[in-house]
Amino acid sequence: MSLFSSLIQSPDRSAERFDDGRPGLSVKPHYEIVDAKDGYALTVYLPGVAKDGLQITVENDELRVVGRPAWKRPEGWTTLYNEAADAPFELAFEHGNAIDVEKIHAELRDGVLRVSLPKAETLRPRKIAVN
Amino acid sequence: MRMVRYVNSNNRSSGSGIAAVSPWTGLESEIDRLFNNALSNFGPSRFGHQFPVGVYEDANNTYIRAELPGVNRDEINVEMVDGSLNISAVRKQKTGGVEESFSFSRSISLPEGIHTDHVAATYENGILSVTLPKREEVKPKKISVAVN
Repeated sequence: MSLFSSLIQSPDRSAERFDDGRPGLSVKPHYEIVDAKDGYALTVYLPGVAKDGLQITVENDELRVVGRPAWKRPEGWTTLYNEAADAPFELAFEHGNAIDVEKIHAELRDGVLRVSLPKAETLRPRKIAVN
Repeated sequence: MRMVRYVNSNNRSSGSGIAAVSPWTGLESEIDRLFNNALSNFGPSRFGHQFPVGVYEDANNTYIRAELPGVNRDEINVEMVDGSLNISAVRKQKTGGVEESFSFSRSISLPEGIHTDHVAATYENGILSVTLPKREEVKPKKISVAVN
């Protein structure tokens, strides 16, 4: 599959932290990637995550999605049974400059995040200023 | 084929333990990835056909929360049948021009004493929340005792 050569899931290095700085808990969400002709379509299932709790970052050729569920168990509620993870969702990919980061488009609706990742036209040479 | 390049897990991790410098970090995650890929061919792993639920209660109500991201509100059915709550939903998605449809259903046994006529449901951020009011006779009663 061509994804293997261009978009690859990063090793688990959670950016979530407890207050004291230890690596925090996060859950890898269910996701799908479709390799279309001019881009990748990434679908991430983030039940309970609202727009405010969603963070998409591109840094050092890594795309990272962090989604924090908006709901907290109200005071006075007792949990009888729970299968939900109740932890932030986190997913990261290395894209190896295969995508055009300026043209990433994302949409969150009903707990489903759809990200379109256009493939890079060319690997543009970059000029690095030396001080 | 392009070479796949790993970023050493040491780069940004704050971990100071041995795990952070393990030479196998990249390999382990690659093995995990291959397994996940291979297993994911057997169907949507996180959801299967059973979506995760949570059951909660307070003094007045029992609450059920079900993770159903991306379903159409019109295609969520919530039914009370013989002391169980049946939830079914359909998610339709387009993948490369082909529309696929996934059906989910689940039946949850309910405690006795639910006011079946007043069940309410909402759907927000991909979570279905069902509120099931308790009948008066099962609500906890507070009895004041005068202490002299």
